[in-house]
Amino acid sequence: MSSSSQFKQLEKLGNGTYATVYKGLNKTTGVYVALKEVKLDSEEGTPSTAIREISLMKELKHENIVRLYDVIHTENKLTLVFEFMDNDLKKYMDSRTVGNTPRGLELNLVKYFQWQLLQGLAFCHENKILHRDLKPQNLLINKKGQLKLGDFGLARAFGIPVNTFSSEVVTLWYRAPDVLMGSRTYSTSIDIWSCGCILAEMITGKPLFPGTNDEEQLKLIFDIMGTPNESLWPGVTKLPKYNPNIQQRASRDLRQVLQPHTKEPLDGNIMDFLHGLLQLNPDMRLSAKQALHHPWFAEYYHHAS
Amino acid sequence: MESTVGDLSENMHEDQGIQKVILPTDFNKCSRTDLVVLISRMLVSLIAINENSVSKIPENQITLTRYHSKIPPNISIFNYFIRLTKFSSLEHCVLMTSLYYIDLLQTAYPDFTLNSLTAHRFLLTATTIATKGLCDSFSTNAHYAKVGGVRCHELNILENDFLKRVNYRIIPRDHNIMLCSIEQKQKKFVIDKNALGSFDLDSYSYTDRPKSGYNVLDKYYRRIVQLVGSFNASPDKSKKIDYVLPSNIDKDNESGPQINEQRGSLPNHYSQKRNSEAKDANTYHKRSKPD
Repeated sequence: MSSSSQFKQLEKLGNGTYATVYKGLNKTTGVYVALKEVKLDSEEGTPSTAIREISLMKELKHENIVRLYDVIHTENKLTLVFEFMDNDLKKYMDSRTVGNTPRGLELNLVKYFQWQLLQGLAFCHENKILHRDLKPQNLLINKKGQLKLGDFGLARAFGIPVNTFSSEVVTLWYRAPDVLMGSRTYSTSIDIWSCGCILAEMITGKPLFPGTNDEEQLKLIFDIMGTPNESLWPGVTKLPKYNPNIQQRASRDLRQVLQPHTKEPLDGNIMDFLHGLLQLNPDMRLSAKQALHHPWFAEYYHHAS
Repeated sequence: MESTVGDLSENMHEDQGIQKVILPTDFNKCSRTDLVVLISRMLVSLIAINENSVSKIPENQITLTRYHSKIPPNISIFNYFIRLTKFSSLEHCVLMTSLYYIDLLQTAYPDFTLNSLTAHRFLLTATTIATKGLCDSFSTNAHYAKVGGVRCHELNILENDFLKRVNYRIIPRDHNIMLCSIEQKQKKFVIDKNALGSFDLDSYSYTDRPKSGYNVLDKYYRRIVQLVGSFNASPDKSKKIDYVLPSNIDKDNESGPQINEQRGSLPNHYSQKRNSEAKDANTYHKRSKPD
């Protein structure tokens, strides 16, 4: 177990929702770490986000998930000691913007990041953990091109029968349509939708569905993916926030939406893969494991086996 | 259903007025009051066992913990638990997890024993942590403390103490009590897999099993119904009800590998103590009979 004197606190890396993150140096080993400082509130006690993040991340040891090394208790704060990562995917994509024009990543890098994202996610799901806040800011990368899932503050275990499922999960732009319409029975497919949004964003350099509120978010999704109905998605009309008066729209060709924003041609494989993630009906979305077996990844799994 | 007849035979005359409830096989479909009755019975049984054995330990060797009250609170375990459940809207899985936390905390913190001085603070801390760790809807510690009758500052300290002791292994998983105890022995925050020696977690392939590592609460549920479902077998007399599971699953039909029996995440000692406990229950019962 570590003590706070073991680490030298360096520059601030960012402010999270419930914590401040610093770069740190382990004085004994010379290894850099990320120190996430959580204030203990006198009314709230230990924040639920910290309890979840620690208890769930302890169970997740995978090369595509940020490692939690230790937790240090001091008088009125907790310090979570994480594996240090150089950057996050959001900042990395922002750094490539030229003038006001966002630029996507090269498709081979997109594929490598997406593969790692799904490897990490498949491991979470196998271990019965939902991340519930996948977005570029929470995907950490390093100079070796590794990508790891971070920030498990909204995550939860899903094998335990818990009756309260919040629909206030996932940052709006990456939130699945079933959750937006108030579904409380969501499962792993909620994370898969986010993966689809992230994939499109890596290709074009800009968010696919940048809504400002729940209603607009659904509208942006339906504008491109078409409006759902009972035959495509049995049960959709019974969701709490389903709007029967919504203007019916046919789906647009996703390739035509994305292609203008990338120089490389988007082939049938990548589009089929993206459609597999961005299914309106949660039951139709690929699982993380299925996604890893999609032909788009053929070069990886052939190489691996 | 027949299984309770044996237990009742010597107390046949007391049978009248005992209501019989057949519980659902899924604890999540149980009424929360029934779950609270059963868990309270289990706690009172454990307290009876612990206090019998503790009475033989010289007083100067009893370690006081943060969970100790100076004198036993003047509210029964059952009434206290009902109060927490009602005013803090505790979910089924939280109720069950608090039972699991007894074994977790005792494993990580051998100085802690459940007794009439520690049970209330334990329950308050356990339900607070389980709610914040597992559920999407929860309150502030200030609220939980108010319902539980302690100062918020004290609940904060208890919460922190519990989390530290169990090394944040608060998810009710089949192997977490064992992992917590190994971490503690090795003084490590997270153990390395190779530190487990011959024990290989991967060999317990989660995906083969329906609940994938979350069978432990179901096991606790079946076990408490077996142990304290019968009104006469329990020292806690708050509700005159006999609980049984449907007869087809009344046996110990554990599916999946039996990893817990040897590795301590199932309350093995419950079953070992079952006979003595039944005796204890009877003695208690005789003592508590009105003159």
